[in-house]
Amino acid sequence: MIDKRVTLSDAASLVSVGNTLALGGMTLYRRPLTFTRTLLRENFAARDLTLLCFTAGIESDMLVGDHRVRSVRSCYFGLEVFGLAPMFTQAASDGTIEIIEETEASIAFGIRAALANVGFMPSRAWIGTDLPLLRPDVQTIKDPYSDDKFIAFPAINCDVAVIHALQADRTGNALIGNNPGIDPELALLADTTIITTEELVDKLDNADIPGPVVQAVTLAPKGALPTSCHPLYPLDGNAILEYTKRCKSGKFEEYLQEVLAP
Amino acid sequence: MYGVQGKLDKQLRVDFTLDELICVCISRQIEDGEVVAQGIATPLVAAGYLLAKCTHAPDLMFASAIGQGICCDWAPLGLSRVEGLWLDRAIRVFGFGRVVTEVLPRNHLKEFFRPGQVDASGNFNNIAIGGDYLRPRLRLPGSGGIPDVTPTTNLAYLYVPRHSRAVFVPKLDYCSGIGHSSQRSGGSGPRYIVSNLGQFDFADGHVRLTSLHPGVEVERVVAKTGFGVQIASGLHETPPPNREQVRLLRQEIDPLGVRRLELLSGRARQELLYEILEVEKKVPE
Repeated sequence: MIDKRVTLSDAASLVSVGNTLALGGMTLYRRPLTFTRTLLRENFAARDLTLLCFTAGIESDMLVGDHRVRSVRSCYFGLEVFGLAPMFTQAASDGTIEIIEETEASIAFGIRAALANVGFMPSRAWIGTDLPLLRPDVQTIKDPYSDDKFIAFPAINCDVAVIHALQADRTGNALIGNNPGIDPELALLADTTIITTEELVDKLDNADIPGPVVQAVTLAPKGALPTSCHPLYPLDGNAILEYTKRCKSGKFEEYLQEVLAP
Repeated sequence: MYGVQGKLDKQLRVDFTLDELICVCISRQIEDGEVVAQGIATPLVAAGYLLAKCTHAPDLMFASAIGQGICCDWAPLGLSRVEGLWLDRAIRVFGFGRVVTEVLPRNHLKEFFRPGQVDASGNFNNIAIGGDYLRPRLRLPGSGGIPDVTPTTNLAYLYVPRHSRAVFVPKLDYCSGIGHSSQRSGGSGPRYIVSNLGQFDFADGHVRLTSLHPGVEVERVVAKTGFGVQIASGLHETPPPNREQVRLLRQEIDPLGVRRLELLSGRARQELLYEILEVEKKVPE
């Protein structure tokens, strides 16, 4: 019988030094916060990470604040209407973090290229903007069937993806609800896909993420707080504001100790 | 007679706030039957779209970054339950992977973008402020899909809730949104900008002031704009909201006042956030 259930500690230990780590969800919605806190508390080998987030929020900001992140690939890093992501913004100004300039298209086409098992995907995005200057590694190509020029977005690979689910079963089938972001693609892409879930059920009859692409499942009730897990609970705006307040007054470490206390 | 007219004016005058005027300006740019896109953290735009939906554009449809689907129906703006506005009402959810690779490249949607910096040609920057890319004075949250859609769309619109020389600049630090530029591969630059001071269009690819919000003088716009702004010959006062528009915004579309956040910064903004969260807790789901 296939049983992919593991403890949170075991799930967090699957991230190694130098990994590309993808954190699922969108900005302040369905982010794997319990996983992030477990990793920060227990897995000190998880450093020099490359974060891959379609949009990065508070979970990524905490990893940056604890100096776990070497570089970031994301088309948005912030806390939406609650403001800038404080630790990321500071690290960017200090030049202590590498930002690999990405947009919606470069991430979506880059992942699609990797999933298609080819080196790039062509697109009309970016042409005429400064993005190609800020990403000198990204090449322009000529369409072999016409004279059109395209940006060739390079394939993006990923070591570990962590996706928070509403429900999952022991084989890794998972339901993630109606705000998928790029989670179904991340689950297919990552060498190791971890599902944290609000609820473990006996058997799911349909799934947004099918079990065969999942390597580990772990229970994490309220595991997205202070971000939301629609429709189970809304985001906790006061907790997010408390975070930004503490960070801005130079008390990130103190905040971290408090939220990581067992 | 003069006295009677004065009295009439007073009766007809509608009290409105600047955020409401901007929402009304945005709403006037919307046509019935189109699909409009809404980015992240843009409540003024959401309120403007919904106002159009409730007045002259009943068949307006929304494509939101939250949920990545298409919606016909709507709900009032919120802070902590914003997903309910879009997710439960989508007639179709695509997911971001498909939206970006399959929907947006050919289906251009009208969208209001909020630039970190904008130049006289309507090129704009949402990457970072400050010339040293490796150590920027301020890293902005990111350019999302702006560099993807602006090279080919002709449906980019801009809004600037806090008009200043820091936003309207002679030269961008970085160009992430392409305006009226020879570098374009298709479409056209932005057609329209609304700020907290007035409305603008583009004449010969250059920003032109077309209307001043009530109480704003040309000199103030000139002083707060970092490049020479053209003045339209038909310069007029921005028509104010009517009573029904104000009622819809305050009572139906945004009773919590989320739209006001975009005009504030620092402590005032923080305080309003706490205030809205407090009120929102008491609203039944």
